[in-house]
Amino acid sequence: MINTEGMVAETAAKIFTDLCGREIPHQAEAGAYPQELWDALVENGLLLAWVSEDNGGFAAEPDEIFGAIWASVQAASPVPFAETLLANHMLDQAGLAPASGSASFAFSGADIPFGGQVEQIVLFDAKQGTISLFDNPADERRHVDSLSPDGATRFDPAGKAALASAKTNFTGRAFEALILTVRAVQMASAIEAALNLSIAHVSEREQFGRPLSKFQAIQHQLAVAASESAAATMAATQAASACARNGNDPAKAWHEAVIAKVQISHSVEAVTVPFHQVHGAMGYTQEYDLHHYTRRLWAWRDALGNEHHWSRLLGAELAVASPDQIWKGVTTGEWIAS
Amino acid sequence: MMQRFSFPVVQPDPALEDLRAELQGFLREELNAGNFRPEPECWMASADPEFSKKMGTRGWIGLTWSKQYGGQGKSALERYIVTEETLRAGAPVGAHWIADRQHAPMLLEHGTEEQKLDILPRIAAGECYFAIGLSEPGAGSDLANVKTRAEKVADGWKINGQKIWSSGAHMSHYMVALLRTSPADGRNRHVGLSQIMIDLSLPGVTIRPITDLSGDAHFNEVYFEDVIVPDDCLLGEEGGGWKQVTGELAMERSGPERFLSSYITLETALYQLQGKLGSDSQARLGKLVASLRTLKGMSWGIANLLHQGISPETEAALVKDLGNRLENDLTQQVRAMLNDLPAEEWSDEMRRIINIGVLRSPPNTLRGGTTEVMRGITARQLGLR
Repeated sequence: MINTEGMVAETAAKIFTDLCGREIPHQAEAGAYPQELWDALVENGLLLAWVSEDNGGFAAEPDEIFGAIWASVQAASPVPFAETLLANHMLDQAGLAPASGSASFAFSGADIPFGGQVEQIVLFDAKQGTISLFDNPADERRHVDSLSPDGATRFDPAGKAALASAKTNFTGRAFEALILTVRAVQMASAIEAALNLSIAHVSEREQFGRPLSKFQAIQHQLAVAASESAAATMAATQAASACARNGNDPAKAWHEAVIAKVQISHSVEAVTVPFHQVHGAMGYTQEYDLHHYTRRLWAWRDALGNEHHWSRLLGAELAVASPDQIWKGVTTGEWIAS
Repeated sequence: MMQRFSFPVVQPDPALEDLRAELQGFLREELNAGNFRPEPECWMASADPEFSKKMGTRGWIGLTWSKQYGGQGKSALERYIVTEETLRAGAPVGAHWIADRQHAPMLLEHGTEEQKLDILPRIAAGECYFAIGLSEPGAGSDLANVKTRAEKVADGWKINGQKIWSSGAHMSHYMVALLRTSPADGRNRHVGLSQIMIDLSLPGVTIRPITDLSGDAHFNEVYFEDVIVPDDCLLGEEGGGWKQVTGELAMERSGPERFLSSYITLETALYQLQGKLGSDSQARLGKLVASLRTLKGMSWGIANLLHQGISPETEAALVKDLGNRLENDLTQQVRAMLNDLPAEEWSDEMRRIINIGVLRSPPNTLRGGTTEVMRGITARQLGLR
């Protein structure tokens, strides 16, 4: 269970409930940026929640950060909240000041969540072991993802001067662990939100003279989706817990984070199919809310490496581990050091 | 903003990990001495009283009940570690499993002092075994349809009828059966059912083995003809059997045997395939391990809730549904992975274990409540029924 208590998580939940009603993601996709929502996040300092006090943040507990991210996805928030939080955290780890506005992150040359929107981009350069902050000029922002409005785009740092740059002690695996954990929490939250929409829909919609929910074929489809939803939340929580326990060296949370990404990305098809099926044609319209979650799930399972990519990377390590090491990892969550 | 399902994340406890190491040492020695052959589904289909007695001697049965009844006064979390390790090894734990998991706790709650002093120490010693008496020819998923009757007589209960699919009844000393002690109240069939403990050596009890499709005979039909048991064999409340049984089923649906029963198949394959897996198989292994780790988190979370006296019925049903599917999928993934090794290099042991795994896969999604029953429970919690 993702922690939803504490000042940061509760403040975020209140802001998203109050200022990100169901019309907001629709309006955002029509081009109306929810400035009021974004301003509230800025004014309440939430974008600096994962930044040390030395760099002007207030160093909230990581599990509260994940609770705030969970809340943002429940509301299908169309602003780069989790992305800015994490970008600022990456800067902070290298001793750099937070971004001046909205920001996102990437490995060098990779896809960037919300890249078509954010003002600044944080890049980790594995070869140099550096973190750098770049401007993402408005006229160069390119949205190249048809799956989701906040999906990935590209950024090529070649020939661009960094606004700031510094060595970081974090390894590539440390950043992978953080990024995948944030993504896992987002995905688990989206699955649960879409499950809730589906339950509400089948309880109201009648066919053959009774609510769809009374048909066993419908019940069982949603029961399977619910089991996948519960597993997704568990996997995300285990990754979040590992990151929280290893704040100084998230590389130690790498296995739990990869496991969460693998588990949840694999389950996307198993949940989005029944969610759409029980909604019928209604769920396929732009007017209805379901796509705010399902399109994001389709985008998120691909971005930053899809389930096949991470399954193979994880499996490649396990393939040379001993059966004892694998069993220890499965049963205790303590994985081989690498 | 609460999540719909509640699975706490609980870190491993170092004291429990010491117990794990002890178990691993014992199981390795027994295996190396040739005292057992590992098998999938060992908790249901692989029973060896000698092995159970060895575990009893070491204090690994009856961990959770007090010393006065032959137990160890430890927690259900310690028992979890023992079950997890014996499943991993595919050890022959089938003789004592059900008594240890289910009937001893029931006796502790409902038994007389005399029964507790008599029976519990024998269970803990690995010498006394129990069978489940729920299903009947006309009562499978529709459990409330049980017809076997217990009639009140002068000095106890007189039992007539038939139970079926009772695993291990042929080697068990007792059965706890769900019986009709008074008629249903109109359409409400949940009333008038009671749980009664039956000594299987009594006159009038006939046990006939049923051979399964693999040729094993570990489950049975059990017939009762005018079997008389004393009054104190009624466990719990007369007429309260339905509530007791459903509560009991909920407690046993989330244990490690719901997702690790086929782990021995993966483990055996890993010894064969270490360093030899191709890229497709590596992806399969990664996915499989991700699912196993996630299920472990869910199952362990529930174990900790149960330990605190909370019984999350829906979460347990979810674990059983997901876990049973994972167990069967594991066998299929291993079949695919084994293609990375030329067939002539498969060990005989690998072939034996994977074949047993395939043959024993159908009951995974049946026993302890079918997948369909689990989904019905989940649907009710979701507010759909």
